[in-house]
Amino acid sequence: MTKAANINMTRRGVLAGAGALSLASLIYSTKRSQAAGSVLRVRSYGDIQTLDPAFRLAAPEGDITNVIFAGLVVATPGDSWGWKPMAVEKIEQLDPLTIAFKLRDNIGFTDGFGQMTAEDVKFSIERLADPANKSPYAGDWATLKEVEVKDKLSGIIHLSKAFAPLWTSTLPTPSSTILSKRAVTEAGGKLGVKPVAQSGPYLLKEWTPKQRTVLVRNPDWKYEQGGYDEIHVHPIEDEKTAELGYEAGDLDYTWTSVSSIKRLKETPPADTVVVEKPSLAFVWLGMNQIAAPFDNPDLRRAVQYGVDRKAVVDAAYFGAAATSTGIIAPGLIGHREKNLYEYDPDKARELVNKAGASGVTVTLDILNKAERLSAAQVVQANLQDIGINVEIKQNDSGTFWTLGSKQNPYYKKLQMVLSRFSMQPDPSWATEWYTTSQIGEWNWEQFSSEEFDKLVTEGKIELDPAKRDVMYKKMQDLMEESGCYVFLTHEVTGVMYRKSVAAGLKPNGEPCFADFKPA
Amino acid sequence: MSEQALIERQPRERIGKAGRVLRRILREPLGAFGLALVVIVVLSALFADVLTNYPPTKLAPADRFAPASLQHLLGTDHLGRDLFSRVLHGGRIALAIALGATGLSLIGGIVLGLIAGYGPRWLDNLMLLLFDAIKSFPTVMLALTLVTLTGPSLLAVLIVVVLVNVPGYARIIRTQTLVLKSAEHVMAARSMGASTARILTVHILPNVIGPILILASMDIPVVVAIEAGLSFLGLGVRPPLPSWGAILNDGFVNIRDSYWIVVAGGLPIILTTLGFTFLGETLRDVFDPRLKRRE
Repeated sequence: MTKAANINMTRRGVLAGAGALSLASLIYSTKRSQAAGSVLRVRSYGDIQTLDPAFRLAAPEGDITNVIFAGLVVATPGDSWGWKPMAVEKIEQLDPLTIAFKLRDNIGFTDGFGQMTAEDVKFSIERLADPANKSPYAGDWATLKEVEVKDKLSGIIHLSKAFAPLWTSTLPTPSSTILSKRAVTEAGGKLGVKPVAQSGPYLLKEWTPKQRTVLVRNPDWKYEQGGYDEIHVHPIEDEKTAELGYEAGDLDYTWTSVSSIKRLKETPPADTVVVEKPSLAFVWLGMNQIAAPFDNPDLRRAVQYGVDRKAVVDAAYFGAAATSTGIIAPGLIGHREKNLYEYDPDKARELVNKAGASGVTVTLDILNKAERLSAAQVVQANLQDIGINVEIKQNDSGTFWTLGSKQNPYYKKLQMVLSRFSMQPDPSWATEWYTTSQIGEWNWEQFSSEEFDKLVTEGKIELDPAKRDVMYKKMQDLMEESGCYVFLTHEVTGVMYRKSVAAGLKPNGEPCFADFKPA
Repeated sequence: MSEQALIERQPRERIGKAGRVLRRILREPLGAFGLALVVIVVLSALFADVLTNYPPTKLAPADRFAPASLQHLLGTDHLGRDLFSRVLHGGRIALAIALGATGLSLIGGIVLGLIAGYGPRWLDNLMLLLFDAIKSFPTVMLALTLVTLTGPSLLAVLIVVVLVNVPGYARIIRTQTLVLKSAEHVMAARSMGASTARILTVHILPNVIGPILILASMDIPVVVAIEAGLSFLGLGVRPPLPSWGAILNDGFVNIRDSYWIVVAGGLPIILTTLGFTFLGETLRDVFDPRLKRRE
């Protein structure tokens, strides 16, 4: 009998062996990760669904594409909005219609796609602007005429008309990301979640859906280096859950829920910096005007009168956030001083009866987050008070962000939605999403107004701040008059991070991953 | 003995048997404890409206996170709702789902089990394949899939529980039916020309239903936990209806602001689970003492 034949393979033995093996592999992977160098663990509020900057769905995707692909310029961290060169050695506006750029000489694409050239700049910007490609961000380059290639690294961006938001909400955003022409063409014209031809200071090394995205330092990136060897991005939808993760030591940086800011500032976790930042984001209650019963304008108006916005915001954010008067935050051009329709439950009941909708039941879709659920429940109570029953439907982020998309047949049935958009520091970025052409993309209320569409176009090419102010106020009036919107709040942004981290944050608290450094 | 005397004696015998069972349950400390818990949970759910003046969905944000007091026995949640009221009304929903879903599962399991056990071999094999296929789905995954397709609702929870439980019950009924199929009294009934329906309902069903009722009573806490779990994830009972799982979730996300919400949501789940489990185990011992001796 051989020695091997004497091995006693009991079930318990096999289980013990498997357990020991798992433990050993866990220790090994942890050690390997520690040995690899410094790691920053950050939380993002959503998982990636695409890494194509032209078709990004939410800010967390932009945060990642901003570091794995080089843009012409990139936003700077700090308390005021600004930008710095990324792929360009030099960029300057020669006149209101002409921007000249010269690329840095040795930015390479991974996967053998060669050096970044002006031809790639032309391809990337014109691809995003071309209406045929149906990028939801085409409006960021609304007045682009063409990108002229002067030589291998230089070119000129020609605009047909002056473009006010160019240096605030177009160039320093993923809309100026340069992709490899050859790589995108070979990929069939669109990138998915597997990035090819990366070019930024970090590379996407690994993506485990719903768990984490691992970014590693790009050894070929020759310019300003990121502060960490690896950045682990953990998608955690709910801020309150993220807070618990942070306090358990699993994260180095996270947004907090608005309702927790006061408590965290008073009693912060150990070795933690808690910061409150003004937010430009906007939260609103939307009604789809083509879906019954909200195809009745009286019922939409009833909801506008029937929602006690202060009660909703106070309940959701524990008094930490103020109500809003529109989609443009205080301090920006076009911010309105007041709403057109304030809380008036008696008038709301009258309108419900006029619409013959007393006792009607409608669905309110929300993202599955604690604050949204609280807000939705107050809306539910308010509307029940005026004779409208509301069923709250909680969705995870993957489902939620496709509810109003043309690819999802539900976009015609969607009735009410509680939503939040992040924002760039130019009013055009707020109004952009409510044009007729955005129906089936981001305009989930299917609001359609020729006057509004015209103002959106004109607002971008008007350079006089006073005139723009009037235009953007008018646009919000039109939105509210349509009955499709109840503007709720701009929130505030709560951020916390370890004292061992020097966080690279934009003025509104959004992260610039490459600018995070060890303190 | 006259026929009249027989008729009068039967209910008395039944009462006597029920009394004996009750006495035996009460003799077992865990059984008595389980029964007490179940009675408390059931009565508090039934009389929720009498035991508290606060409507369970009434919002009062100004009173949020109020600690336990005479006014609010379990305090209030983040929207100022009275937690005692929500727990009691949540019990009503939990028990309604548990009893409703278990009842439906029993009916489904019995019907399918009888068909599988008494029907032709090929049908038995086909149904076994189907039962195993359904059982092979992890409960949570099945629930997530169904809720994604239908949207979160009480009905979705009910369907999930029925789908998960029916194969287990059906398998037990099927096995016992297979044994009884060739029992003398069944063969005698068949030879006397009794229909299949009569054989199944009169001669087989009464002999197989006992064990499955005990099993069902022990499944009630499992169903309560499934409902609470789905509601915790936002996939079960829709807001603002109170559910223990939803209360637990409210407590989880606000645990740094107030710990008592978690306690208010968790305690009834624990007590209900313990109560039905202890009661079910005692009932099993009472009806099948051999099991207890083996232990």
